[in-house]
Amino acid sequence: MAAVEKRRPAVAAVAGFTDSGRPAASRTAATAESEEDFLRQVGVTEMLRAALLKVLEARPEEPIAFLAHYFENMGLRSPADGGAGEPPGQLLLQQQRLGRALWHLRLAHHSQRTAFNNNVSVAYACLSASGRKKKPGLDGRTYSELLKRICRDGEAPEEVVAPLLHKIQCRDHEAVPLDVFRAGMLTCFVLLEFVARAGALYQLLEDPTLAVADRRVGQAVLDTLEGALQASDAAATPSRYLEATSRLGPDSLALAMDRALGARRPGSPMTREEFLEKAAALFIAKVKPVA
Amino acid sequence: EAGVLELGSYPGPRMLSPERLALPDYEYLAQRHVLTYMEDAVCQLLENKEDISQYGVARFFTEYFNSVCQGTHILFREFSFIQATPHNRASFLRAFWKCFRTVGKNGDLLTMREYHCLLQLLCPDFPLELTQKAARIVLMDDAMDCLMSFSDFLFAFQIQFYYSEFLESVAAIYQDLLAGKNPNTVIVPTSSSGQHRQRPPLGEASLLEGVEASLFSQCLENLCDRHKYSCPPPALVKEVLSNVQRLTFYGFLVALSKHHGINQALGALPDKGDLMHDPAMDEELERLL
Repeated sequence: MAAVEKRRPAVAAVAGFTDSGRPAASRTAATAESEEDFLRQVGVTEMLRAALLKVLEARPEEPIAFLAHYFENMGLRSPADGGAGEPPGQLLLQQQRLGRALWHLRLAHHSQRTAFNNNVSVAYACLSASGRKKKPGLDGRTYSELLKRICRDGEAPEEVVAPLLHKIQCRDHEAVPLDVFRAGMLTCFVLLEFVARAGALYQLLEDPTLAVADRRVGQAVLDTLEGALQASDAAATPSRYLEATSRLGPDSLALAMDRALGARRPGSPMTREEFLEKAAALFIAKVKPVA
Repeated sequence: EAGVLELGSYPGPRMLSPERLALPDYEYLAQRHVLTYMEDAVCQLLENKEDISQYGVARFFTEYFNSVCQGTHILFREFSFIQATPHNRASFLRAFWKCFRTVGKNGDLLTMREYHCLLQLLCPDFPLELTQKAARIVLMDDAMDCLMSFSDFLFAFQIQFYYSEFLESVAAIYQDLLAGKNPNTVIVPTSSSGQHRQRPPLGEASLLEGVEASLFSQCLENLCDRHKYSCPPPALVKEVLSNVQRLTFYGFLVALSKHHGINQALGALPDKGDLMHDPAMDEELERLL
């Protein structure tokens, strides 16, 4: 414990954060100086500062996991990029390209439009770069793989996202231009968030003991959702639909649910999967298929 | 078994995007104890600086943060670090279970001191006082030399260790209630005596053990509202207290330690029935025998 106490003031000074207010423990000036020198020489201060700024910009749900991936990818970037450089002779494999592209895409939330678009461009460049056996440009097959990966990592059930993939996928050997890529990425991330919110909504509806929801109530919510989506501007971007759903006020929704319970007889229960599939379908119906 | 810890404490309840984006920087970082781990990462780096080259720093941090995610970062660390964050505490509980569940498999019963030795294998400066408090829950403050089963000790230890601060406050509230003081009393100095008003002590109260459950429940509800440190889910605490008319302090703690819902909410340990379930180990043994 004493060893940790000794170092805290040095760390706090180096990192530039305010400490929790502990009094500086006594230590030799030489030790502190040599530690600070070491940290500066090895570039730790700058490294951590850059990392922290990235965390604050991206605001990931799991910042510690984010940091682990951040430093992992740092090892792969060239020194010019601020990275540590790749071990010589290592070629980038498809999986690594995908991984790196994914990492870039997750750096900013899709609502942070400028940052998100920048990251999309970097991801696109990463996937389009030519390799030893690879021609420059992004092919449909890689694009599809990336979409599937994003959906898998986003924990959306396959049946729920399949219709979307069907609409926006490109043929395997087709070249995917940047604007198609960008639109596809945005739609994908927005859908995942939509599904997550629908899931949270379902949790409110479900009977805790039965783990299913009353069909009348579930359907009433879906109908209200559909109404909200139709009400939004016909030419709107995907993220406007998200706005529309969050505008679903608790009062109007509660009324709809109340009415449904009173009007009809109870039918078979509605499972979470069915609810999510139907909710996602409402969203996907608005998505324009790739030409 | 998945390598990544799926806990209630960490990564924590999933925050849907807008909520976490709206938090001020410091609050967002504090929720996941980001600065705690960054500071600790640098400390660990300094302790190992002879072995690190420039290229190795990024890899060091990668390994450090990965180990935090997986919950292995607390092994053999000092007590002040182990108790520093809810995630650290949960990781430590989980590590203790995984390392020593064979003790339970054999059906061995150990004393408090023996469990303490096991704890010290994972954390050299783990305080005896905490182990004693955990044992007191199992033994209900009775003969402290008694033997305890692994699962009894483990679940009591979980409550004592994870919710240390909460239990301290609960103990204080309990003492107040025993003394006939209602902690919610407003102190009104009168001109003459300067004594505060209290609920007139019931004549029979001193004959009955413990405190009245409903009043106790109310006080705990206020406690959970007021304080930021980890509390068991208030709804479940209420549930525990709604089943009885009166209860003692240790009776309450025992009930907490045996509550499946609280264990699940914490997310560190499996259900009591699955404590010894270890398919990987069984497979290994099959191969050897």
